[in-house]
Amino acid sequence: MIVLEARKLKKHFASQKAVDDISFSIDEGQIFGLLGPNGAGKTTLIRMITGIFYPDEGEIFLENKKFDPQNDVGKIGYMPEERGLYKKMKIGEQATYLAQLKGLSASDAKTKIRYWFEKLGMDTWWDKKVEDLSKGMGQKLQFVTTIVHEPKLIILDEPFSGLDPVNANMIKDEIFELAKRGSTIIFSTHRMEQVEEICNQIILVNKGKKVLDGTVQGIKAQFKENLFRIHCSHPQSNHSIQTDLFSVIQQKGEEMIIQKSDEVSNNQIIQYLLQNNFNINGFNEILPSLNDIFIKQVDGTPDARIFTTT
Amino acid sequence: MNKIFLIIKREYTTRVRKKSFLLTTLLLPVLYLGMTFFSGYLSANSKNELKLAVVDASGKFTDELMQKANASFPDNQLKKVFEDSAGIAATYVSKGFDGYIYIPATIESANNIMLHTKKVLGSASGVEQQINMIWNDIKYKELGIDQEKMAKLNEHISIKTVSSDNEKADGKVANVIGYFTAFLMYFIILVYGSQVMMGVMEEKTNRIAEVIVSSVKPFQLMLGKILGIALVAITQFLLWIILIVVIYNITSKMSGDVSAIGGIMGNIGEVLAGINIPLIIGLFLFYFLGGFFLYAALYAAIGSAVNEDLREAQSLSFPVTMLVVISILMLSPAINNPSGPIAVWGSIIPITSPIVMMARIPFGIPSTVPYWQLGLSMLSLVVGFVALTWFAGKIYRTGILMYGKKPTWSEMLKWVFKKQ
Repeated sequence: MIVLEARKLKKHFASQKAVDDISFSIDEGQIFGLLGPNGAGKTTLIRMITGIFYPDEGEIFLENKKFDPQNDVGKIGYMPEERGLYKKMKIGEQATYLAQLKGLSASDAKTKIRYWFEKLGMDTWWDKKVEDLSKGMGQKLQFVTTIVHEPKLIILDEPFSGLDPVNANMIKDEIFELAKRGSTIIFSTHRMEQVEEICNQIILVNKGKKVLDGTVQGIKAQFKENLFRIHCSHPQSNHSIQTDLFSVIQQKGEEMIIQKSDEVSNNQIIQYLLQNNFNINGFNEILPSLNDIFIKQVDGTPDARIFTTT
Repeated sequence: MNKIFLIIKREYTTRVRKKSFLLTTLLLPVLYLGMTFFSGYLSANSKNELKLAVVDASGKFTDELMQKANASFPDNQLKKVFEDSAGIAATYVSKGFDGYIYIPATIESANNIMLHTKKVLGSASGVEQQINMIWNDIKYKELGIDQEKMAKLNEHISIKTVSSDNEKADGKVANVIGYFTAFLMYFIILVYGSQVMMGVMEEKTNRIAEVIVSSVKPFQLMLGKILGIALVAITQFLLWIILIVVIYNITSKMSGDVSAIGGIMGNIGEVLAGINIPLIIGLFLFYFLGGFFLYAALYAAIGSAVNEDLREAQSLSFPVTMLVVISILMLSPAINNPSGPIAVWGSIIPITSPIVMMARIPFGIPSTVPYWQLGLSMLSLVVGFVALTWFAGKIYRTGILMYGKKPTWSEMLKWVFKKQ
């Protein structure tokens, strides 16, 4: 089932087109990566999905019904990148307050918060104040307040910033579990290795436009350059390779990197190597990392927010 | 609606539970009473006795007359000495006098007589009155005026104002009430208005604003904050009234003891007796809420527009604070002439009406404030705060999510007409 569908969303501000005709859809239980450089329009896009902004044009559908910000807030949990809490308020009270704003009753909110506090090792925090917490602890608390009302759609903007590896893993596990239980997660970050690890599907936005859309594997395949890393040895130490099948890009000891054209199959290359008495120890395709793809797509485009003198 | 209630509850409980709230609620009346006590104590103890020698060349200042005058002015003791002025000038200090007065022989034609002293006197009026009392007695005796004729001469007619509408419009009382309520309004608007501004700034700098507006509309958040703080103000106000009533009752039971508090409280009681209290309190609440909403909305808009820097907030809120100050500047002319054009227009325009109208109302409705003016004023205040709240809400929803450079008022005006 499609949980969220954005159709031709547009949002213009006085000086720039923050979001310019973006469409995408997310299936239930997906972990969806929303990627893009700074100022690409991610935050504006998220603010439209969370009902903070109205789109100038286009429509948003939540569970196949037109998105109604007034009544659908309980279905969405949003953890913005610029996040914070009331410093002087007690933690338990604050979490209850935020959950109540999402539509939970006071008692319901309390039981659910206690459950999460216990699960994430925060049970002694209830009567402490936020100003007593470290940044990472505040982050964990923020995560709990984002998901406590069991939203269908969870939007996390840089959820791991400021977390140590132990707590980051803890949150990561919770994200996987939430997805398994049917929540859909939009995950916005600049950290590409996290995207490769967590996300099933991604879109890349740049300058308000969608540049890429697809599964992580699909996009990697789309950008592959038919590069292979081969570990092999030959009885004659100074044997040279003479073939039209592929070209050797780099050779270092027993490892070489080759590039083939699309028409040549992997088997043909292996066949050639075998026929020429090579001992093959390894044969891998080199897929581009998302990081490389990201840089390739975004690099060279001027900064999104160019200030005009008005 | 339910969510606004949640926001109001949070704003109210977090503020009322603060120690500073309890402290100001208790301390302000105590401080006020302490100050009246202190000033009463000071004035009671600052009187110092003055012993003066009188050199009488006229021979008219008899001991009998001087004793009579000394009895009426216990602070100044006059004593006749039989020396010439040069002699006493050299010896009055060693004889235990604070100074001396020389009465010339031709006192009838002298414009003033001299009081020689080393003490710095705030004013010699006490001595002057005392000398004149003796002098009057001397003149009366010379003119043959006895006690009976003197009483006749001293008869005095006093004037009391009674309004023809049969209201107890006592000008003096109205003055006091007018100033009191107007300044109370001024104080509440500035203190609680800036609390709204600080509250909004807190939400913005803590970066919780975006979390909250993903759950509620920015307008709801702003309105909830304003209403919550209004409730805090009303709570504090009621607590003060209760405290004052309690203190009044305690001190009035300490009968016989004419304490400073008792005296002041007695005055308040006297003043209030001549006034339609429920009407004034009712209208005060109306103008308080109207005025507070109007200014709080503006302060909220400013708080949303600025960043951490308090100085930014001050410079941006300066025009708004000036509007409140203008109302206070109109106060004195409005009270001196409560039916004059400044008073009438000031009490109808919603920016100034909360303060100016509160100053006029004690002078009487409908004698000083006709019903149509009151109605127009109330209507325009309601229209004014609804319009300003809408206006401020537009600035607020943009400002609360905007970080960076401090906007100018003209940029903020652009936000009002921007689509969201």
